[in-house]
Amino acid sequence: MKRLYDSGAWAHRALGGLLPALLLLLWLTAAETGMVAPYLLPHPKDVLATAASYVFGHGGQAGFAGRFMDDFTASITRVMLGFGLAVLVGLPLGILSGRLALANRLLGTTINALRAVPGISWLPLALVWFGIGLKTTVFLVALAAFFPIYLNAEAGARQVNPTLLRAGAMMGVRRLRGTFAILLPAAMPNIITGLRLGLGISWAYLVLGELTGVHNGLGAVIMDARMLGRIDVIMVGIIFIAVIGRLCDVGLHHMLRFAFKSARRLP
Amino acid sequence: MKPKLKIVSSQKGAPAARAILEVEGLSKGFATNTNGAGRILVLNDVGLTVRKGEMICIVGRSGCGKSTLLNILAGFLSPDRGCVRLGGRPVDRPAPDRCVVFQEDALFPWLTVRENIAFGLKVRAMSRQEKEREVDRFLALVGLTEFGSYLPAEISGGMKQRVALARVLILQPEVLLMDEPFAALDAQTREEMQDLLLHLWAKLAHSIVFVTHDVGEAVLLADRVLLFEKAPGRVKEEIAIDLPRPREKDTERYYALCRAITSQMKRA
Ligand SMILES: Nc1ncnc2c1ncn2[C@@H]1O[C@H](COP(=O)(O)OP(=O)(O)OP(=O)(O)O)[C@@H](O)[C@H]1O
Ligand SMILES: [Mg+2]
Repeated sequence: MKRLYDSGAWAHRALGGLLPALLLLLWLTAAETGMVAPYLLPHPKDVLATAASYVFGHGGQAGFAGRFMDDFTASITRVMLGFGLAVLVGLPLGILSGRLALANRLLGTTINALRAVPGISWLPLALVWFGIGLKTTVFLVALAAFFPIYLNAEAGARQVNPTLLRAGAMMGVRRLRGTFAILLPAAMPNIITGLRLGLGISWAYLVLGELTGVHNGLGAVIMDARMLGRIDVIMVGIIFIAVIGRLCDVGLHHMLRFAFKSARRLP
Repeated sequence: MKPKLKIVSSQKGAPAARAILEVEGLSKGFATNTNGAGRILVLNDVGLTVRKGEMICIVGRSGCGKSTLLNILAGFLSPDRGCVRLGGRPVDRPAPDRCVVFQEDALFPWLTVRENIAFGLKVRAMSRQEKEREVDRFLALVGLTEFGSYLPAEISGGMKQRVALARVLILQPEVLLMDEPFAALDAQTREEMQDLLLHLWAKLAHSIVFVTHDVGEAVLLADRVLLFEKAPGRVKEEIAIDLPRPREKDTERYYALCRAITSQMKRA
């Protein structure tokens, strides 16, 4: 398929890096000129060194050296479990209430009431129910990711052009087969939006879940570093979450485009 | 020369063996507002018969219930009263034996032209090669062989309607239902599509119910024209078009029939 702006594709992509580059430049200037004290904003090269030590584990970084793989594995597991759970429940329920007025009546009120509760207010309850650790974090992530996934799937399923469903029915494609052959593809743009929002918010709630005293994870690192006054480690944690979050988003998008024609071909 | 309008007598006495689609006493109303307080009668006691291999055109003013009738024939809507029989059996749901070419674009936008045409074959017990061969055949029949890999968004309106035609013809429906399929096309493309339809009809011998508000189109295509009356909709007149085929548009007889039907329509 032909692409709009083909010649400028690289320039287009590079544009996304412009803002981070500017921020880095600003940071560098602030650190070099001593405008901001190092205990508030450490020099980029110190942060880089901390990051290297965090990942590769040499140098005398005491508690933080070489923790990265362990933290990363713990965090990504929690995010994937929570997000997976949210998809498993949110997608079918969303599509169901988009198509069946009865399901919408049944679920809509409750879900929209729960949606109004800020995610952080679930934290104490989750701690009582599940204790500190994996379960609490997965619960918070799943809960937070559920709403955008459910709501977008619902909107997508509701807005499907009824003529497409009629066309399918007259060609003998109905019910379950029609759901997979027509309903899902037609709702795909909304579904993708929901999944991407859900995955994004998963990372936010991961950190929330990990701030409560678990011993590993990217959120835990940030919390430990705060206790020890290690602002460089905090910044490393933040940057890693930003990068990994973005990579997950890109990965999800690519995976969907790989798996579904409709994800490739619909705007 | 004054053309005589041949009014066909009611089909009650027609031999049942030749009738493929029979409609009797069809009535349909809609609630006029959401709480269902008011009700308008859109179809009132509609009856018609389509014989095997015949093309009938339903002509009527906008809003007289043509689409509603077609939706009932297709099984998308159920009538309040009356019944529809296909080959003697009552119909109550959509099925590939009655396929619709819709007024608006109803292709699946995430499927290529090929995949759209192959869509209805999903549920058929045929080998892959057989399906591919059928799709090739129908792509060629509608003149889109080179466009198989295009997406609907990448082809013109006329080409979309060709795909819409191919994807239902491939299912070999008993009756083809067409709801103003060419109304959104420019004059030249519309003529091309009319020629294509006549060509395919001669070749595949389907029975066709063709809805239009264009009298010229009806006279060009139909064996019989059913003139629909407005509010509530019902068949006001049946006019047999006995022009020999292939038909020429700029003949005196053609214009005379158009004029006669148009004046009938004004009185409807
Ligand atoms: N679902 C519905 N609910 C309420 N009223 C309806 C509904 N569908 C159709 N109508 C009404 O029925 C009447 C006939 O509609 P229909 O679409 O069958 O007309 P039509 O002859 O196809 O018109 P057009 O030539 O403009 O397509 C219209 O007055 C319309 O308002
Ligand atoms: Mg209509």
